Amino acid sequence: MRAVTDETTGVPKIQIQAVSKSYPGDKSPVLALRAVDMSISEGEFVSIVGPSGCGKSTLLYVLGGFLEADGKVLVDGKAIRGPGTDRGVVFQEYALFPWLTVRNNILYGLERGALAPEERTRIADRLIGVIGLKGFEDRYPRELSGGMKQRVAIARTLACDPAILLLDEPFGALDAQTREVMQDELLRIWLETRKTVLMITHDVNEAVYLSNRICVMSARPGQIVEEFKIDLDRTIPREKLFLSDAFNKTRNEVWISVRQQALAAERLNAGV
Amino acid sequence: MEKEPGKRALQIRSVISVLVIVVLWEAAARAGLASPLFLPAFTAVVAEWWTVCADGSLPSDLLTSLFRAFAGLFAATLVGVGLGIAMARSRLVHWIFDPVIALAFPSPKIAFLPIFILWFGIYSTSKILLVAFACVFPIVIGTYAAASAVNRVWIWSAYSLGTSNLTLLFRVVLPAAWPRIFAALRVALPVSLITTFTAEMVGGGGGMGASLMYSQRFFESPTVFAYILTMLVVGLLLDAMMLRIQTAFPAWHGNA
Amino acid sequence: MQGSDRYAVFRSPVGRMIPLVAMGLIWQAISATKLVDPSFLPSPVRIGHAMVDLLTGREIRDNLFVTLARAAIGLALGSAAGVWLGLMMARSPTFRAYAAPIVGGTYSLPKSALIPLFILWFGIGTATTVCAVFLACLLPMVVNTFQGVASTPRVLVWGAQALGTRPREMLWQVFLPHALPDIFTGLRVALGFSFVLAISSEMIASTNGIGKLIFMYGENGAYDYMFAAIACVVVVAFVTDRLLLLLTRKCLRWHESATERGAA
Repeated sequence: MRAVTDETTGVPKIQIQAVSKSYPGDKSPVLALRAVDMSISEGEFVSIVGPSGCGKSTLLYVLGGFLEADGKVLVDGKAIRGPGTDRGVVFQEYALFPWLTVRNNILYGLERGALAPEERTRIADRLIGVIGLKGFEDRYPRELSGGMKQRVAIARTLACDPAILLLDEPFGALDAQTREVMQDELLRIWLETRKTVLMITHDVNEAVYLSNRICVMSARPGQIVEEFKIDLDRTIPREKLFLSDAFNKTRNEVWISVRQQALAAERLNAGV
Repeated sequence: MEKEPGKRALQIRSVISVLVIVVLWEAAARAGLASPLFLPAFTAVVAEWWTVCADGSLPSDLLTSLFRAFAGLFAATLVGVGLGIAMARSRLVHWIFDPVIALAFPSPKIAFLPIFILWFGIYSTSKILLVAFACVFPIVIGTYAAASAVNRVWIWSAYSLGTSNLTLLFRVVLPAAWPRIFAALRVALPVSLITTFTAEMVGGGGGMGASLMYSQRFFESPTVFAYILTMLVVGLLLDAMMLRIQTAFPAWHGNA
Repeated sequence: MQGSDRYAVFRSPVGRMIPLVAMGLIWQAISATKLVDPSFLPSPVRIGHAMVDLLTGREIRDNLFVTLARAAIGLALGSAAGVWLGLMMARSPTFRAYAAPIVGGTYSLPKSALIPLFILWFGIGTATTVCAVFLACLLPMVVNTFQGVASTPRVLVWGAQALGTRPREMLWQVFLPHALPDIFTGLRVALGFSFVLAISSEMIASTNGIGKLIFMYGENGAYDYMFAAIACVVVVAFVTDRLLLLLTRKCLRWHESATERGAA
């Protein structure tokens, strides 16, 4: 896999080198990831797609610092040591604190910083506006719909202004319409902030729509087997884009690649 | 994340914990850390336990207490399950009894013991009825919750197949509600034991509790410990038995 | 399930007391016909008189206060210790491995059986009662706290870590708030136990307290007063339980079951 270097410093934002991860299993250890190599440049939006259970989420958790693994994970050239505010994470299950209001959830990360209280409130209120939840500041998560909860989760992560965003199937729990709305939101936020994003998804359409690079992972033990560079004109509205030839050609190629991996995974399971 | 220890490992750890306690106990007693009145040696307790078993007093006390506890539990089950189902099926019945249950549920049933003694004397009858009174509440509440939660779809299907009400009760409602009813029974069992022992301690009239108080009054520490340990073991065995029954019938637990 | 609206009045708080009032009236009627010996079952009216006497006199108030104080101290200490133990068990696998069998074992032991032992050790009085209440409240708090902490979803923990929560902050910022609903459930159970053990211990052997008072009235044949004292206990237990439920609802506004809470 070609390393894509950063223009400014020449060092990729994220480097994953020979990362392997195994879990203790019933009879013998299960290898989830095998010697994964990957680099992500600053400002890139990379999606990882692949069959279920191939280890894509595991890779994200390793990068997030939640799991330990063999190999090296470098951010800005330095090895990571556990979770950090430089890598914001959005989980599929929202992970909001149920006992905090919308505003307090978003303020949570800010309170650990060095900002003055007025500044924190200002940032939180601005983010609440960005995600379109003005008027819901004092609601509790249990009063929100799935889409609203995910917006809060994204806002909460953005509040700390992390350079890197790690998204683990962020829209997997949402219904189709909400998912499309949220994808547009995410695209808009990324285009505005140009953060480095790594997203896990099993939705190929979503990956092609949002990313400028897609990595296809094999069945377990996971390895990156194919890469696609995406170069679509994202100023076109979604309706036109989805019907365009460029989009569909790319989408088909990626889909076939993923499908091959999924079929390989099935053969693996059937054989076992 | 640590791997959960297997059953075997847990059993070994239980045994180790118990052994450690016993050893420390014996050592402390022998070292004279406390007077024999406060902490008789474990070996002394065992010896005393053997004596009261051999002369028949412990077994007869135990039988008396268990008889009272189970009789009360049995009565409570009949009344409790019946009432719980009736409350689930009829809103009128629920309306009549719910306030009484809600009012009496939080209160310590032992406070009613003097009333039962007044009406029924100090021997088994008053205790059995008190146990029944104490156990009926969790059973009614559990049964009511279970019976009202029985899937409406099942009931409608049964009706549409021409099932009569009584058959509906026995073939649909009870089997569906049974896991949670059984769980309520498992909760009621320790209640029956506690209530029996306490009633005997307060009101006399034979049984484990009465003998326990008797030995305390005469400062017979080893006997006191022996009786308490017996209660502990009996409680453990009975609960384990309930668990065994529950797991032997997989349909009796989990979401049926 | 909707009823037709003409039944709505029966479901109002006042409407729900009608069965109780009706039972009281039936009781009064039975007493008036003297079907039953009045000393065995005093009429509600006579019990009412006795209650007024008691409440205006010092006796019941002093004794009730003593009992409640003992129960409260035991409950507070037992709950605090229980929460601490539950936390330790949830955070340290080694601790849990060895504590779990002991904790599980005490479940089957009726704590009131230890009262004679405590009398042997501490004599008759407050220490015995408080000790018994303490031990009884321990178990539900340990189990519920453990459950509440151990069930914290890992994404919640990870999310907090990614937002910069330091390890020593995790307890107060994540684990305890998440465990709060379970802790309150345990507290309700412990409250009930505290009453049972306090009264049991006073009935078994004590010089004061409402348990002793009830017993004394019984022995002296003052059955009106005995019934009245028992009624007081029932009311106090009910009221404290409701108060705890109110407190729970207030603290747990954010919890999913907030709309369903309030039932017995």
